[in-house]
Amino acid sequence: MKIKDSIQTATRGLNHAKLRSLLTMLGIVIGIASVILLMSIGSSAQSLILDQVKGIGSNLIFVVPGATKGSRFSSPASTQGIIIKTLVEGDVDALRREAVAAKVTAEVRGQAKAVYENNDATVTYEGITAEFFPMRNFSTVKGFSFTNNDVASFNHVAVLGQAIAETLFGDIDPVGKLFRLRDVQFRVIGVLEKKGLGPFGIDQDALVLIPITVARKQLLGIDYYNAITVQASDAYNIEFAKSRISDVLRQSHRITNPDKDDFTIRTQEDALSLLGNITSILKIFLTAIASISLIVGGIGIMNIMFVSVVERTREIGLRKAVGATNSDILQQFLWEAVILTFIGGLVGIFIGSLFTVLTYFAVTRFAGIDWVFSLPISAVLLAVAVSTVIGVVFGIYPAYRASRLNPTEALRYE
Amino acid sequence: MISLKNLGKIYSDDDTDTTALQDISFEIKKGEFVSVMGPSGSGKSTLLHILSFLDRPTSGSYTFSGKSINDLSDIELARIRNKEMGFVFQAFNLLSRASVYENVEMPLIYSVDLPAGERAELVRKAIEAVGLKEKTFVEAGRLSGGQKQRVAIARALVNDPNVIFADEPTGNLDSKSGAQIMEILDDLHNAGRTIILVTHETYTAEFADRRIQLKDGLVEVDEATKHDGNRKEFFK
Repeated sequence: MKIKDSIQTATRGLNHAKLRSLLTMLGIVIGIASVILLMSIGSSAQSLILDQVKGIGSNLIFVVPGATKGSRFSSPASTQGIIIKTLVEGDVDALRREAVAAKVTAEVRGQAKAVYENNDATVTYEGITAEFFPMRNFSTVKGFSFTNNDVASFNHVAVLGQAIAETLFGDIDPVGKLFRLRDVQFRVIGVLEKKGLGPFGIDQDALVLIPITVARKQLLGIDYYNAITVQASDAYNIEFAKSRISDVLRQSHRITNPDKDDFTIRTQEDALSLLGNITSILKIFLTAIASISLIVGGIGIMNIMFVSVVERTREIGLRKAVGATNSDILQQFLWEAVILTFIGGLVGIFIGSLFTVLTYFAVTRFAGIDWVFSLPISAVLLAVAVSTVIGVVFGIYPAYRASRLNPTEALRYE
Repeated sequence: MISLKNLGKIYSDDDTDTTALQDISFEIKKGEFVSVMGPSGSGKSTLLHILSFLDRPTSGSYTFSGKSINDLSDIELARIRNKEMGFVFQAFNLLSRASVYENVEMPLIYSVDLPAGERAELVRKAIEAVGLKEKTFVEAGRLSGGQKQRVAIARALVNDPNVIFADEPTGNLDSKSGAQIMEILDDLHNAGRTIILVTHETYTAEFADRRIQLKDGLVEVDEATKHDGNRKEFFK
């Protein structure tokens, strides 16, 4: 029997039982659609998260106080609420003299109540130097950011994130207005552009940025830093810059044994690879969930195929009587399963893509997240391949059973 | 063209053996119209299955057109069934959701050496031969019993076989439709085809030239048909 005839016979068989064919296909449609949708969501979420890390700036190297035990993905002690005072002014000066460092900024952080007239809010403020703004791609939509003159002169000026500006000032233009932070008066000189949720879940629109000198001496009364950020010069490899920075810090901290480091250095690449790992696991997890529905769909096909073989016992007997060989019958039923799953796969891809587009609009419009539309071609190819393979895998046993039927018994079957 | 020698068939279960055919020998020449009769359990279905290559004997020999069943593979048996045998069943065995055309075409799609372009012509001829031209694209399930059996005969004819096996072809039909079917078989016989008819109705058996009567797996009677008027009565 020619393949064309096998396919035509199978198509006719499916056509003669339209409702059954459609219902069988439904399981595969749902399975493939969910694979497409979930793979797309996973890959959108991955690029969203990775883009945020990339969006912090470029070539950034973060130095935090305290050693890190374990692998490069362990968190340093200083991020776990333990106060470590090892990063000091001398470190920043030493780093500024290094050729690998294009820009250096130090940071201190604190929380306080901000008050403007009748409005107040508890805010996280960051004391920074002027380099912070270009390094982290922070720019103002109103007013200006402060300069290192403001830092050196202990000027009480502040740049606000959009959300906190709105909380404190409402509809009033905050630039030029005075507000109090821990009972110290600050003048708003700029409002940041909308940044959204930053990496690690920090709401960048709720930040209050003030000169580091003011924050350290007048708000916190400390002489250490919470972090130092270095932007490596483009001329140097980032790993080389990282090791240079380690050397500088060891020298200024008089450390000879690298195992006794009292600081931790991380690059953006470290964060990207960590988050890349996490989001890949998320993607695999989502795909695995969707695959369960595919398997259920496949078992549905097998069930219906068995019913179909029993129901069509006489047809099989007849076909054998008029000259069909076992392999003809096997092919006919196998083609039926494969055609069902293939068409189901195509419909599933269409429906899955439709839902992916709907998700894109829902997320960007209603949740206000900068969702990246992503429909990976790999997901589409995988879906087609998987659905066809499911047709073969779950169709072959019923088809085999059909082909082995004894024609004399099949013709007698009631 | 058909020759049986000491043919036997035993169905073996786990612990019991059932003898369906004991020791059957006869010959059927090309162009004969033979009826096979006998009570239920006499072995006529088993005999038909073996004659039509759907089953194999457990002893003895069967040659069809000079080829012995024992020398042929299952695939070769399927090819011979397809090219040289036609089947008409009591229960019609049509695909009720398929059109008359698709039903009649079915044997041709298993004819490996027939060019696909010649199918339509063969199907058309076979449907015309049973007088159902205007029903060509009607769903088989919508036809009357007599029309269904005519479709089945067209299907049996489409590959121009030497032998037609008819298993109680009038069993599910009223007498008028049954008469039409028997007339068609009679015409086919007159056109030179070999017809083997399994029946338990004496009046349909009278269309045949020869009667083989089975009992308990043995040939009880093998004689020329006596035309004693039943056939005429059937036509009333």
